[in-house]
Amino acid sequence: MRSILVTGASRGIGLSIARRLAAGGDRVIAVARKRGAELDDAIAAAAATSGEIGFKAFDLSEVGAIPAFVKELRGEFGPIFGLVNNAGIGTEGLLATMHNSQIEALVRLNVLSPIILTKYVARQMMADRAGRIINMSSIIATTGYRGLSVYGATKAAAAGFTRSLAREVGQLGITVNAIAPGFIETELTGNLSEGDRERIAGRSALRRLATPDDVAATVEFLLGEGGTNITGAVQVIDAGNTA
Amino acid sequence: MSIRLKIISEMQQIAREQNITLPPLDDDLPLQSTSLDSLGFAILVARLEDELGRDPFTIADEAAFPLTIGDFVRAYENVPA
Repeated sequence: MRSILVTGASRGIGLSIARRLAAGGDRVIAVARKRGAELDDAIAAAAATSGEIGFKAFDLSEVGAIPAFVKELRGEFGPIFGLVNNAGIGTEGLLATMHNSQIEALVRLNVLSPIILTKYVARQMMADRAGRIINMSSIIATTGYRGLSVYGATKAAAAGFTRSLAREVGQLGITVNAIAPGFIETELTGNLSEGDRERIAGRSALRRLATPDDVAATVEFLLGEGGTNITGAVQVIDAGNTA
Repeated sequence: MSIRLKIISEMQQIAREQNITLPPLDDDLPLQSTSLDSLGFAILVARLEDELGRDPFTIADEAAFPLTIGDFVRAYENVPA
């Protein structure tokens, strides 16, 4: 059974990814600060499938603790085949009035933490000469959106990190890709007004918003046979919002 | 197997996988002259962490990487597992 590490797996897109991979027969290592009722349900539901979801509590902003955490995961779950760097925060705010601590927290959790986590997980993949890494970018990395300058910067970082790392580890059979979702109905977009939500859906080619499960399906594809020869790519999932 | 022998044996294994020939791995040989590239050393550090349970470059205060084979071996010998 393949082990897939999914960060931010207690809700939203991460939870959808965990559910879908477990249903497909994978062992999902779900990482989040807190477990939550939704993840409890998913863990129980996964027990009835050929896969499973195991929960590991960890605060990814504790960057210094990441090396020991990855070592612990290796000891408990064995080789990790896939890493899905999904955890992130979507703090909004005009740059001029954002508190510096908010800016730093965004960069820490959305950029520094996944890079360090990837460093230690990828090293194990290098030793095993196999693995798949998926980073969560966003269409905001390329389109821009008022009030999301810092968030956009962190998501552009995810895309840049993906392309260069793909070059570094490709010869070892490890793929590295990014997914750039558009506006998707999760807690992160919960702050949008109904009007904004309708406007965004109306601007999309398909006149709707993409769903967390759309993202999960793409993760499943990239981790599967179909993803064997895809690396350094950024897959947009936005119901045609940027088309 | 001593740490030194373990390191040398892993280097030889990686060299075989990459189809390269290593020179004699004397202590004063610069790492740059081993024929292993940066990726080869990344694989070496990853495998040694797996096998020896230690990574001297993560716990070090400074970001310096050793220059010679002797420095590299001592980095592993001088940290607790």
